[in-house]
Amino acid sequence: MDQTYKILVVDDEPDLEPLILQRMRRQIRANEYEFVFAQNGVEALEKLNADSTIDMVLSDINMPKMDGLTLLQQLPGVDPNLRAVIISAYGDMDNIRTAMNRGAFDFVTKPIDFDDLKITISRTLEHLAEWREALSSRDQLVALQNELSIASQLQQSILPKNPPVTDKYEVSANMEPARNVGGDFYDFFKLDEQVGLVVADVSDKGIPASMFMMSSRTALKGAAIGVGDPAMVLEEVNNQLHQDNPTFMFVTLIYALFNPNTGSLTYSIAGHDPPMLVSADGTVTELPLTKGVALGIAPDIVYTQETVELAPGDTVVLFTDGVTEAMNANNEQFGLTRLADVFEGNSPDSALAANEAVFECVRNFAGDAPQSDDITCLTLRRP
Amino acid sequence: MEFSHDRSGDTLVVTASGRVDGSNASDFLESLQGMFDPGDQRIILDLGGLEYISSAGLRVLLMAAQNLDRQSKSFSICSLTEAVGDVFRISGFDQIINVFPSVEAAKQG
Repeated sequence: MDQTYKILVVDDEPDLEPLILQRMRRQIRANEYEFVFAQNGVEALEKLNADSTIDMVLSDINMPKMDGLTLLQQLPGVDPNLRAVIISAYGDMDNIRTAMNRGAFDFVTKPIDFDDLKITISRTLEHLAEWREALSSRDQLVALQNELSIASQLQQSILPKNPPVTDKYEVSANMEPARNVGGDFYDFFKLDEQVGLVVADVSDKGIPASMFMMSSRTALKGAAIGVGDPAMVLEEVNNQLHQDNPTFMFVTLIYALFNPNTGSLTYSIAGHDPPMLVSADGTVTELPLTKGVALGIAPDIVYTQETVELAPGDTVVLFTDGVTEAMNANNEQFGLTRLADVFEGNSPDSALAANEAVFECVRNFAGDAPQSDDITCLTLRRP
Repeated sequence: MEFSHDRSGDTLVVTASGRVDGSNASDFLESLQGMFDPGDQRIILDLGGLEYISSAGLRVLLMAAQNLDRQSKSFSICSLTEAVGDVFRISGFDQIINVFPSVEAAKQG
């Protein structure tokens, strides 16, 4: 044992103190145990309140002022992690049972067999040490969970709220994280007359993914403001993310630039599922994939872009694979076909309605099956 | 995940089947790298039996590929199912890692 345990002995018989000091002298000299003594329950409580370093109580039952069974009831109020061992008369099962019910860890009987007492004390203290270790692991876990939840709040807080709804365009966006901290994000921002739209998915989950997500988002927004064309923006962001990426994280995303005055949408894709176009008449088509690679894995990748003209009533759906790979209880994936079926012949009357329809259909499909990936969807509609 | 491998000369063909996602991606990398011998110059990963690969799985393949590239060894994958092939095509990984239709084609490659 590398620490000295302090044991409070409570007994009104004056003989016990010299006896214990004599029989335990080896342990006392080796600094394994230190003993303090009290004559009754009241005195015991006074000593416990005055000295928070006491680890264990060894108490007689019959004592004046306050007996051992009453003392047992008081112990949790002083320190819930104290361990108590009761000294009882041989065969006094009633008192022993009461003591155990009141939280005594063990008991020894009179006349005290000191070999038995040594074993009992050492078992009790071993248990206490394990208990303290468990408590400290629990505290660490709680601290870690707190950090995770802070990270999750941070991540949620950088997702922009209140997407724009004007007479020229409507945006709606939502992200449902699978674990505390996920790797998906969306973004929308005004660039002069135009609107930049992003849906992204970082490889893997947890804290590292969320840190990579934060830097991806900042790099993208910075490039969007400075560079202009979506394909050029992705080339710039890819090189930035690749420069210092020892863990081979990567992010797949769509960056689209919408011009509300003309209805034209120019997008570039980095290793991501292409957007879906729902025409005003309820026809659903997958927009063409552009040339590109997930961002951050190789330098000097060339990205291309496509432009599509949105007619009034057209909706574009940007999503992550959390939508298409959502699983139900039979391990079937939601898939692109079911996503298209959400809108086939059923053109949404607002961006918000379109977004809510996607989440509702995915939820209904998945049922009680656990969500394994973040689910993100951004919808843009030209009224 | 299940693995087997077949070595002839300096060519190692590893066959992997099952699913790779965030829960077993690091085991996947460890098993894969455990099969490499210093003498192997060409490693072909046959993914014909792979049903699903997530982005965490792609990341592991990327790590293996870069690792072998640094040792000037060749790494390629082959025999992708349609679903896994789509993942490689959409993510653009088919532009980063050599992909062949079959083991034979990879050996010619």
